[in-house]
Amino acid sequence: MKIGVFVCHCGENIGRTVNCPEVSKACASFPGVVHSEDYKYMCSDPGQNLIKQAIREKHLDAVVVGSCSPHMHEKTFRKACASAGINSYMVEIANLREHCSWIHEDIAEATKKAIDLMRFAVERVKFNHPLQTIKVPVTKRSLVIGGGISGIQAALDIANAGFEVVLVEKEPSIGGHMSQLSETFPTLDCSQCILTPRMVEVYQHPKIKLLSYSEVENVEGFIGNFKVTIRRKAKSVKEELCTGCGLCAEKCPIKKKALSEFDEGLSNRSAIYVPFPQAVPNVPVIDRSVCTYFKTGKCEMCKKVCGREAIDFTQQDTFVTEDVGSIIVATGYKLYSIEKKPEESIYKGYGEYGYGKYKNVINGLQFERIASASGPTSGEILRPSDKTEPKKIVFIQCVGSRDESKGFSYCSKICCMYTAKHAMLYKHKVHDGEAYVFYMDIRSGGKNYEEFVRRAIEEDHVNYIRGRVSKIYEEDGKLIVKGEDTLAGLPVVIEADLVVLATAMIAQQEAPKLAQTLNISYDKYGYFQEAHPKLRPVETNTGGVFLAGACHSPRDIPESVAMASAAAAKSLVLFGADMLEREPIIAKVDESTCAGCFYCQKVCAYNAIEKKEIRDRQGNLKKVVAFVNSGLCQGCGTCNATCPSKSIELIGFNDDQIFAQINAFAEV
Amino acid sequence: MNELKQICKDALTEKKARFIIGYKEDKNKRVKPFIAKTPEDAEKLTFSHHAVNNLAVYLSRFKNNIDGKIGIVVKSCDLKAVTALIQENQIKRDDLFIIGVNCSGVVLDVAKEFNKDNTQIKCKYCQAKTPPYYDALAEESKEFEMPDDDQAELMAKIDKMTAEERLEFWNAEFEKCIKCYACRQVCPMCYCEKCIVEKSEPQWIDSSSTSRGNFSWNIIRAFHQAGRCIGCHECERACPMGIPLTLLTRKMGMVAFSEFGYRHGTSLTEPTLIGTYSTSDKEDFIK
Ligand SMILES: Cc1cc2nc3c(=O)[nH]c(=O)nc-3n(C[C@H](O)[C@H](O)[C@H](O)COP(=O)(O)OP(=O)(O)OC[C@H]3O[C@@H](n4cnc5c(N)ncnc54)[C@H](O)[C@@H]3O)c2cc1C
Ligand code: SF4
Ligand code: SF4
Ligand code: SF4
Ligand code: SF4
Ligand code: SF4
Repeated sequence: MKIGVFVCHCGENIGRTVNCPEVSKACASFPGVVHSEDYKYMCSDPGQNLIKQAIREKHLDAVVVGSCSPHMHEKTFRKACASAGINSYMVEIANLREHCSWIHEDIAEATKKAIDLMRFAVERVKFNHPLQTIKVPVTKRSLVIGGGISGIQAALDIANAGFEVVLVEKEPSIGGHMSQLSETFPTLDCSQCILTPRMVEVYQHPKIKLLSYSEVENVEGFIGNFKVTIRRKAKSVKEELCTGCGLCAEKCPIKKKALSEFDEGLSNRSAIYVPFPQAVPNVPVIDRSVCTYFKTGKCEMCKKVCGREAIDFTQQDTFVTEDVGSIIVATGYKLYSIEKKPEESIYKGYGEYGYGKYKNVINGLQFERIASASGPTSGEILRPSDKTEPKKIVFIQCVGSRDESKGFSYCSKICCMYTAKHAMLYKHKVHDGEAYVFYMDIRSGGKNYEEFVRRAIEEDHVNYIRGRVSKIYEEDGKLIVKGEDTLAGLPVVIEADLVVLATAMIAQQEAPKLAQTLNISYDKYGYFQEAHPKLRPVETNTGGVFLAGACHSPRDIPESVAMASAAAAKSLVLFGADMLEREPIIAKVDESTCAGCFYCQKVCAYNAIEKKEIRDRQGNLKKVVAFVNSGLCQGCGTCNATCPSKSIELIGFNDDQIFAQINAFAEV
Repeated sequence: MNELKQICKDALTEKKARFIIGYKEDKNKRVKPFIAKTPEDAEKLTFSHHAVNNLAVYLSRFKNNIDGKIGIVVKSCDLKAVTALIQENQIKRDDLFIIGVNCSGVVLDVAKEFNKDNTQIKCKYCQAKTPPYYDALAEESKEFEMPDDDQAELMAKIDKMTAEERLEFWNAEFEKCIKCYACRQVCPMCYCEKCIVEKSEPQWIDSSSTSRGNFSWNIIRAFHQAGRCIGCHECERACPMGIPLTLLTRKMGMVAFSEFGYRHGTSLTEPTLIGTYSTSDKEDFIK
């Protein structure tokens, strides 16, 4: 075997601590090496040409490059070698940067180590075999999880490009949080007015299959070939029969018992309900936890009045499976729960603000509902306790965010903006009212955002007080807000009629569970993790699974929409090819020695191990052995490490290669 | 005993089992493994304090050769091996006809009578004299006062040793090993078709009879039993050189229990410790 060795200086990165010419010289004397040289930037065009030239002139069979991490440029060098006529998998990388120059100071020692690393790689490459990439077909269909604005945008983009989309929404209607907002910063256009047409477009789009009131149960497979099981929760209403006339909800005797989720608990809804008039699909569901029929077996009022016989009390959850090539996660956020006794013990809550105790201490989304024309007060600013117009209103920012002791250390990012919006909306409706905002900093980066906040202060005369509020208590129907003006260095006491807490956006509670189902990572807050914070912000670590919107981090609508379109574009890139090329680095079972214990199957995170029956010519079962599904195997090597009798090998990392490396090390 | 014979005879007559793996007494009064194929054979089956062997070791040989159920006579300790083999896909519960026996201890030295000083280590800490499940149960349960668990005392002593002292202790023990592999052959959990020591391309385990080779063999065997050894002590009984092999396997079993609350071979439904990942697994070993 003729081996060529190329040592890269990586500019100064390797060259500063490793004497590359010396390494190259030492490599020239290794058995099998017929060519050895060093160069400033091997990955550059001239650098790659040196490799190609040497392959052609010296008829090399294999190449070892001493450079940066294979993570960085293995593909580059493999491609270069393939274009000069040798198999890509006859290339090995010795990591002279991360494993050597970056972590050492002494030039002589580092050079010695670099020579060792090169020798290990040279010994290893002698046991490499030419491999062919695996080609797998791509299912050109997408699954979008979550029907907020992010999911809607992603679904429309993909569908408009001509590919089918399955949109799964866990609530009875799509729309997400945006459907609850009154007007949106920084332009103050009506949220529903810009959102509803898109919801309808989704519903009517021939390429979009909308599965509302549904959740993803299980995901199998891999990029280009996912098999998704979806639970369709029982609506107790036959979707195909219902015309959305709304008679059932009107007649339902349970009017007071259930709090409207859509109105954030500020109004009531019936047991059979559509969340809001513009809901898509406009099909009600029965909330079995409050329905009289489900509790006592009597009532059936809705069933009696429905002319279409659409009510079905016996409906059960059903399961559907969908084959898709890509998955976009757009499950959004929820608001930090600020009650004194928070549901999750890790949140300490803000008992001193009296949320949940005083009716007139509300959160941002509740204010959105009060300010909204479709809300419980039809858009009039009236406080919840006595439905009077508040003359003094206090907004408190950063409740739960930027507060490690009681909430989360991150900045919830949108609260500065929505608080300015709230104060403005208030002033536009209550002309003689006074609005106060307690803030820590004002963060209004974004196009026309700073101008928007200035407008609130300068044109609408909102009083911004820098400082935190220490306590709120009720006295004679007023809320006494005690805080501090840190700029003036003075304590402040405001007798307010209504207090709005700008509570932090936090990750959905079930996000970690969904992440485990999808095999993607999440951060310590429960937000889904991108593959690279700068260069791959919408990809996840699992190929073919992308992120959109507030499920990734606190985001406003424009950012969510942009991210959704980016995720859609990533899916479309995938659909651009008919076949996907996959690395041939996969596991292989030695059927003659496999004992069929199936420990490998237990440890495989990708469900890539199957059972295979071996029969003789008469069809008698001889044994049952493990079998690797080459489409599913990701080449992680876990099975390889687990098998007690070493009956599984990882192609491309086979025992001979590893032993050659270890032996070369032992000879040092 | 007559009860055992009757159960087996019926099982073979009624074809509840194709054959029964059990014990018989030879003419020198030694109790040995015996396969009863006919109702007449069943007459020869016996059980006593001398029925030491763990018969489950034979089961994996029949795993793909099922043509009617396999009958097997088990003590409660042996049943753990059966359970473990089912958990590890070596045999199916449905392919077995399990004849449990109430056991009140077996001998250490088969040439001598059963008494306090002649008891297997495992019996001294045995939790259940009656197998937890079976298709038929034979033998009356007899009370017997068990001597102290002296192995546990020795283990506590070893625990207190420094790493160097422990290494020295085991080096001295493994020094004796003659690489006969009897410990592996007798172990019900060592059912691999090709043991890792036999893998020669490349050679994973140094198979030479040197201290290094002996050490790597014994350690790899012990490690392959981590979370899997069911504690039948057959390896130690088989070892011609008297190496106290169960000091290692029992210790690992104890750690599996103290750290994960898991005992292999005690549940047909619980996921095996090895190969199961849970987000609540301890990570404090990562320093
Ligand atoms: C008080 C307040 C005011 C705001 N005002 C503005 C504003 O004026 N301008 C602006 O730009 N932004 C504003 N925002 C931010 C805006 O709400 C978000 O940017 C936007 O809603 C994010 O959209 P999304 O689709 O990513 O998430 P969401 O709107 O949260 O939608 C997520 C959807 O996914 C569904 N879902 C969740 N989990 C699952 C699951 N497991 N399976 C299936 N479906 C699931 C949910 O039911 C929901 O329909 C405001 C936010 C708040 C709290
Ligand atoms: S772990 Fe090894 S012996 Fe067991 S089934 Fe898998 S390949 Fe076969
Ligand atoms: S290498 Fe083994 S454990 Fe990893 S994905 Fe492939 S089959 Fe599964
Ligand atoms: S290692 Fe020894 S004690 Fe454990 S199961 Fe095997 S033979 Fe029995
Ligand atoms: S020692 Fe390990 S490889 Fe050998 S038979 Fe036992 S479990 Fe299998
Ligand atoms: S039985 Fe004893 S001597 Fe034989 S291989 Fe095992 S430990 Fe060594």
